[in-house]
Amino acid sequence: MVEAFVTDTIVYASLFGLMALGLTLTYLTTKVPNFAYGSFVTIGMYTAFALYRIQKISPYASAPIAFALGAVASVSMYLGVLRILSKRGSSLVALMIATLAVDIAFVGIFGIYSDYLTSRYAFIDSKQFYPIPDSFTLFGTAGIVYVAPISLGIVTLAVFLLLTQSKLGVAMRASVENPSLARVVGINVERVYVFAWLLAGGFAAMSGSYYVLWLPGGITGGSNLIVEIFAASVLGGLASIYGSVLGGLIIGASEVLVTKVALDQLGSWVGIYQKGIPLIIMVVTLLVLPKGITSIDWHRIFVKAYPSFASQLRRLYHSMAKLTRGES
Amino acid sequence: MAMVPIIQLFGIDVVRFSIDLLTLYSLFLVVSLTLNLEAGYAGIPNFGKVMFVAAGAAAAGSASGQLAAFVLMINTHGNYTGYIYQVIPQIDAALTHNPGLSIGILLFGVLVAAVVGAVLGFAASYPAIRLREDYLGMLLLAAAQFFQIILSGYEPIIGGTQGIEVPNVFGWFFGDEIGVRDVVVLLVLGAFALLVFVYCEKVVRSPLGRTLRAIRDSELASRSLGKNDVAIRRKVIVVASAISGMAGALLTFYLGSVGAETWTRVTWTFWIWVILILGGAANNAGVALGAFSFTLLLKAVDQVKFNFQPFIPVDVNWLEYIMFAALLIGILVVRPDGILPEKPTLTLPRSMLGHIMESNVNPVDDEKSQPAKQTI
Repeated sequence: MVEAFVTDTIVYASLFGLMALGLTLTYLTTKVPNFAYGSFVTIGMYTAFALYRIQKISPYASAPIAFALGAVASVSMYLGVLRILSKRGSSLVALMIATLAVDIAFVGIFGIYSDYLTSRYAFIDSKQFYPIPDSFTLFGTAGIVYVAPISLGIVTLAVFLLLTQSKLGVAMRASVENPSLARVVGINVERVYVFAWLLAGGFAAMSGSYYVLWLPGGITGGSNLIVEIFAASVLGGLASIYGSVLGGLIIGASEVLVTKVALDQLGSWVGIYQKGIPLIIMVVTLLVLPKGITSIDWHRIFVKAYPSFASQLRRLYHSMAKLTRGES
Repeated sequence: MAMVPIIQLFGIDVVRFSIDLLTLYSLFLVVSLTLNLEAGYAGIPNFGKVMFVAAGAAAAGSASGQLAAFVLMINTHGNYTGYIYQVIPQIDAALTHNPGLSIGILLFGVLVAAVVGAVLGFAASYPAIRLREDYLGMLLLAAAQFFQIILSGYEPIIGGTQGIEVPNVFGWFFGDEIGVRDVVVLLVLGAFALLVFVYCEKVVRSPLGRTLRAIRDSELASRSLGKNDVAIRRKVIVVASAISGMAGALLTFYLGSVGAETWTRVTWTFWIWVILILGGAANNAGVALGAFSFTLLLKAVDQVKFNFQPFIPVDVNWLEYIMFAALLIGILVVRPDGILPEKPTLTLPRSMLGHIMESNVNPVDDEKSQPAKQTI
């Protein structure tokens, strides 16, 4: 049996990596912080909850359905709200408040749905529910401890392959870098953006359906996670997909680990300040490192910190290079 | 004893409805005017408005009761929130016969709220003057979320999620009669809202107001003219947050209790933004109109909700969420500048401008217009 905080860290960090990846995808395309993103996560939570309670379908099996629902919600939000507004030349603040409105509307929809679940199936806990029991265990730990990081790995690898190996991925990168130039070479930028939003909503809902295997969910379950999701995305630089995965891992892990240390050292009263950790990381990142963790030039820092060692390394590198070129 | 008359119209108590409407309107007006100052005029999109209002409410609710307990020498056993149900009735009983202390506690609470709001605003101004709009929006939204968690988790301030009761500072006025108390509250809130409106109008028509717009529209240009954009923005956030805190304090005294659950992102951030967008950003009259339309709509929906709830299987509150979200997006699409769009400020009084324009008019035209008038 592994210690609880280790498994907590693994699940939490992986899920936030997955969520931050999706948020960054939407930010890259539309350049608007999507305040409704948390609700895409809630879609996954309710998909998992409803299918488990009504049909006894495990969240692992319902994750693809959650992915599809989240993708549909995300794409309809992009096409139905954001694209219309940005075509009318709305300001950034107007787009931000529109995403907040969509989030509120989603909370309303979840409220109605949970009322429906209560009246139709008599689920009294449909507004706020405990974690769904995991369907399998491996070496004495719940399945999600393995599934969450593996999913994150697969998704990150898939996105990496998509962006580097496929034509669509290259078109995506081009549309993000320079939309007008991408249009000139015949890329349908709109379609590419829709695809990015589809993936983002899907990842969010998928991570939501995994989330309720470990932690409680509810109407505002996803919306309440935006502190962590935004912090992770900001830490990753908001412009880097891999950075956001790294940011999610750091935020998730530090939240669990710092809280654990603080609880052990200071007592149970620090528990409520848990969400302060991602907030502080976000503030510090914004003020010290506004372009995120991926903007750090590790090479330069290394050279500054260890000048003699670095120069020796450089000499070694040059002599190696000479050797390989055949000059002795 | 004075009584509030009851006038029934279509089964609705009109007087009751109007009092509630205007009370809520005053509060919404104050908070949306401060948001207008920040977001409309200074270009600081404050997506964490709820934090400043809630901070004022919590500070006032907690501090006023503790002061009253201290002054009246009521034993709180060193745990004010824990013994709240014993302390508050004693305070209320004493305050009923003590108008001076009541008013003193009210003013003290509002003052504490203003200070707490200003301090939070000062803290928020640090990132606000450095970050881009989108980063700032994320940060303030997240900070407000965190603040709410602390309010509901940290018991010594307002007793966590349970909340605490607040001394009834309006009790001395005609005793306990509910209707009269509400009228008094309305008068206090209305006066406060009027004061804030006049203040905001004065500010935006002053050189400071024009500087704010200049900074909002082009930071670089205003900087090149020697305007200290950092100091001015900080000033705006601090003042707006202090006023928001005071509004929160007044609502707390009106409700007679304060709890973390009252302060939701939906009510005190989202609805305030809806008012701003509906009325028209950077136009105080527009915001006043927007706040009134919104409050009227809200109260009307409340009435309908009350009458129709038995026939609808779901909680109508959820429909309200969706309705206002749709309303906001609709305005953004159809009329993004709101009911009353921003107008350029006339730098001189209208009469003087008229005088100047008249003196500039070609005298030949004047002579031509003279006979035309005589024929009528």
